[in-house]
Amino acid sequence: MANKIRFETREEVDFAIIGSGSAGGILAKELSTAGFSVVVLEQGPYRKAGDFTHDELSVLVRGELHGGESEVHGQTFRDDESKTAVRPMRSPIRYARTVGGSSVHFTANFWRLRPIDFKERSLLGPISGTNFADWPITYEELEPYYTKVDWEIGVSGAPGPFDAPRSKPFPMPPMPIKSSGVLLERGAEKLGLHAQHEPHAILSQPHNGRAGCISCGYCMFYGCEAGAKSSTLAAMIPLAEASGNCEIRPDSTVIRIDTDANGRASQVVYLDPNGVEQAQKAKAVVLSANGAESARLLLMSASAQHPDGLANSSGFVGRNLMHNAHAVATGVFEQSLNDYKGVQVSRIIHDFYETDEQRGFYGGGGIDARPLFSATPIFHTMAGLDPDVPRWGKEFKDSMVHNFTRQMSVVGSTTSLALDRNNITLDPESKDAWGRPAIRETYRDHPDDLAMASFLEDRAMELVDAAGAVKSWRLGIHPTTGGEHLLGTCRMGDDPATSVVDSTHRSHDVPNLFICDGGSMVTSGRGQPTMTIMALAFRAADHIKAAASTSNI
Amino acid sequence: MDQKNLSRRRFLQSSGSLAGTAYLRLLGPAVIAIAESACTAKHTASPFKVLGADEANDFAAIAARLIPTTDTPGATEAGVIYFFDSAFAAEMSGQLEAARTGLAAFNAALDESHPDARRLSNLSEDDQDAFLKTQESEQFFGLAWAMTIFGFFSMSKYGGNKDNIGWDLIGFEGDHGAWQYPFGYYDAQVHGEANHGE
Repeated sequence: MANKIRFETREEVDFAIIGSGSAGGILAKELSTAGFSVVVLEQGPYRKAGDFTHDELSVLVRGELHGGESEVHGQTFRDDESKTAVRPMRSPIRYARTVGGSSVHFTANFWRLRPIDFKERSLLGPISGTNFADWPITYEELEPYYTKVDWEIGVSGAPGPFDAPRSKPFPMPPMPIKSSGVLLERGAEKLGLHAQHEPHAILSQPHNGRAGCISCGYCMFYGCEAGAKSSTLAAMIPLAEASGNCEIRPDSTVIRIDTDANGRASQVVYLDPNGVEQAQKAKAVVLSANGAESARLLLMSASAQHPDGLANSSGFVGRNLMHNAHAVATGVFEQSLNDYKGVQVSRIIHDFYETDEQRGFYGGGGIDARPLFSATPIFHTMAGLDPDVPRWGKEFKDSMVHNFTRQMSVVGSTTSLALDRNNITLDPESKDAWGRPAIRETYRDHPDDLAMASFLEDRAMELVDAAGAVKSWRLGIHPTTGGEHLLGTCRMGDDPATSVVDSTHRSHDVPNLFICDGGSMVTSGRGQPTMTIMALAFRAADHIKAAASTSNI
Repeated sequence: MDQKNLSRRRFLQSSGSLAGTAYLRLLGPAVIAIAESACTAKHTASPFKVLGADEANDFAAIAARLIPTTDTPGATEAGVIYFFDSAFAAEMSGQLEAARTGLAAFNAALDESHPDARRLSNLSEDDQDAFLKTQESEQFFGLAWAMTIFGFFSMSKYGGNKDNIGWDLIGFEGDHGAWQYPFGYYDAQVHGEANHGE
């Protein structure tokens, strides 16, 4: 490969992209291979596949891929804006700081949305007190880009009975079934439900010059040392760099987007690895820092021209944060599953995907079976123990010895409603290690979200028991106090009064500022958003390329 | 020179000089064995980087009750105390002071309930467990619990989980590079029929 290109900060590149994750990595590849000059500013380091380890203490406990925990990021949380937010022990907003972003350490469960997700508001009517809305685009408009993700990013799977229509088959067969999948099938059959193959952003066989999955078992929370997980690090960044038009600039902590006298974005101001302030000039800025960081940066970029933050004339920047609520039922079985090996999930159930008015509340969800707490030993001990057994001593030890290989969990993931009260703002006191105002999260689930989680918890318990568990228990439904799914905070829409970007991801207020990440999503889907974030990024790239080639940026 | 014997002798000497022969009696044979093996491995006179002998004794005793040695190995055999020491010397150095304060309060409570015991390890196992139960809601207990778990199950490079004792105990086959299907009993029934890989 030729020497990687480097740009001077004073040199005006075509695009400065903030963030190299699920959306930023795709936009970097699409724009650079189309011939545009691109600088990607990534706040994390440039780890490669060989840098990823199975070190549970470092990754799970010490937040290696998060760049440390709460003392570094200073994030605060409260459940109501009348309260003073406090800094919890674990950061409430969790994402990977590394080239490739959270596509590096996510579990790689990879569901498309369905047509109803885009127009549920029209189908069901308004829900008072919420910002429940239709998307400005349809499933049909996004479908070609889902297919592009399938083939370019690399998706393994097989169609299920309720799937949305697809224009091309999966490029690879599904990952083989695991014991948790076999047991979920058993339970589903008894209950008249339909277990189907889990689609994965993981290669079940070699694809696009990348190796297939070796079933090491460290997908959830960890980076893939085989490059088989379809992160943008594995699938997109190498193509972007090979174009000769794209510089990935790691360890670059963005503090502000500057605008000029015409209200156009002119440069991105960031701290280099030595903490020295730099400013990258660009014709246009693409903000893909995730649904929490993008909002923080826009709010931090307030100026005399934009007193409430950049691109925020609607006041919708940071609002409508959606996490997806979760439900967990755990079962212990007679024989060993050894479910810690291989990918997390091999079978899912989508019978409860759609809203059913007979339930008495809005919402839908998906169910999967996985080792979850039995994926690794420390995680098991911290969260997966039989609640009827003491936490130490002989009984504790005996229970761990018996259960670790025999346990699995059935997990439900739900919709979340968009609410004003759930949002990202700048904490007035707390700062992160770079001196930036810390992310302050305010979040309290809509009662329908919790009702849906309870409904799925009941179904999950039935499934665990029908699958033949000798012992089962539920985690209980608790209010959401943070999460990895960071959705809705810069939503797309046709009306500048109630959205931040238009249907092409161009901000309503700043003509050469594009925002594309989980924050673009108008509704939350049913719990696995990354596939949609990636499809949106491919689609945004097409619109941005078209605009740029007619000098309309 | 016989490095092994030299280190071992140095450990015993240094321990003796710290607390006299009574200290050695207080250490269970298992702790001495681990201390010796760690000395051997590290070729160093002192087995601990930051912990004093009494502190190490107390932490080791607590860990030994949290994950006891039964017919299978426990925290003692896994060398969890060396995780405590390594962590307090490095990543958790910021918590060492709090841990020491917590341990002092723990021992003060012990003095109150068992005036003659002096150390947890002097009590019978049942009495140790009964006393630990009274400490469960203390922050110090939580710290000791978490560190025992980390020391039992984290990679052995952190000082504990010696020879992957913790992983072996629960049937976790460790930091393996790759696995072949089937993994367990239930998927074996399917893969057996279906020529695995689907």
